Amino acid sequence: MKICIATTGPDLGSQISPVFGRAPYFLIIDSETEEFKSIENKSAQAFRGAGIAAAQTVANEKAEVVITGMVGPNAQMVLEQSGIKVISGVSGTAKEALEKFKKGELK
Amino acid sequence: MKKLVVSGGKGGVGKSTIAILFANKFTKEGKKVLLCDCDVECPNDYLLLGQKLKKSAEKVYAEFPKLNKKKCKKCGLCAKTCRSNAIFQTPGKYPIFIKDLCSACGACWIICPQKAIEPQTEEIGQVFVNRVKNNFWLVTGSAKAGLEETGPVVTQTKKFVLKLAKKIKPDFLLFDTAPGTHCPVISAILDCDLVYCVTEPTPMGAYDLNLILDLCQKLKVPAKIILNQADLGDKRKILPALKKFKVKIEKEIPYSKRLVEAYSKGQLLNFELL
Repeated sequence: MKICIATTGPDLGSQISPVFGRAPYFLIIDSETEEFKSIENKSAQAFRGAGIAAAQTVANEKAEVVITGMVGPNAQMVLEQSGIKVISGVSGTAKEALEKFKKGELK
Repeated sequence: MKKLVVSGGKGGVGKSTIAILFANKFTKEGKKVLLCDCDVECPNDYLLLGQKLKKSAEKVYAEFPKLNKKKCKKCGLCAKTCRSNAIFQTPGKYPIFIKDLCSACGACWIICPQKAIEPQTEEIGQVFVNRVKNNFWLVTGSAKAGLEETGPVVTQTKKFVLKLAKKIKPDFLLFDTAPGTHCPVISAILDCDLVYCVTEPTPMGAYDLNLILDLCQKLKVPAKIILNQADLGDKRKILPALKKFKVKIEKEIPYSKRLVEAYSKGQLLNFELL
């Protein structure tokens, strides 16, 4: 399964971003193989609508789950509409979150 | 007719007050003045002049995108084109328009190869006219409460006021803008002859003055500075901005308790200071 973790840095040791729309990076991870690629979030500096633009990036990557600190109302709405599951309120490193997610501890 | 703007970047520096003081000065000199309040999210010139907004002279409309699903081929060009991030599209599904973010620019329906996006007209605000004095008109633009993107209301208010100006032929057309350097302010400044940038001698005043002067330069409209509450704070703070953009202080206005009192009572009409 493809999952997206919003992070402050470009690798698995990075902290999870407290915000989704203006997170500096998105890690798109294959939860089985743990292969990942990092995407710099170009919409982090957007004047407005950062959440929508970020959701668009994630949707284009065909991720099925988003793990982050917090999601704004606009992004929440469009992520839900495109069938992407949002897990918010998560902190720590991306690696820790990934392991918890694989054990089914993140909901 | 001279088209003057009173702006300044920072909020609370006295833009509306200065705009009215200019209007008072010009009317006293026997000139005809049309003052246009472009701070459409919270217009207050009418309050400061002791006026009431009664029946609107004109309603303001904007066109928002509406999808015709029969024609849409889900190509995603609209979502890619939108600069306001107001269109979202899951690959392979219909685009979703997020109205709160839409600036009603129309790029999406222009770009759509299928003509599947149809502009839909909606009321976004109103324009009011008050004849404050024999030679002093006030036009107030007012955005509908809750509207996120108010640039189009300013554009329409301006269109209305230019039409009115053709009829009454004022010597001065004064635009009082919102704080900031975003769409509603840009819409007000475009095509004008001069911007009076009101500021105050504080670090915040200086910071925002830089932004507004940069904007004026980009829009190719000359700027002059009005330094309000000039005797408070530290004037040296704003000097680097003056040097950088090669602009001059047109007028320094010291703090005036009398002015603040008149302001708070909505009695700025006929108040003379400039």
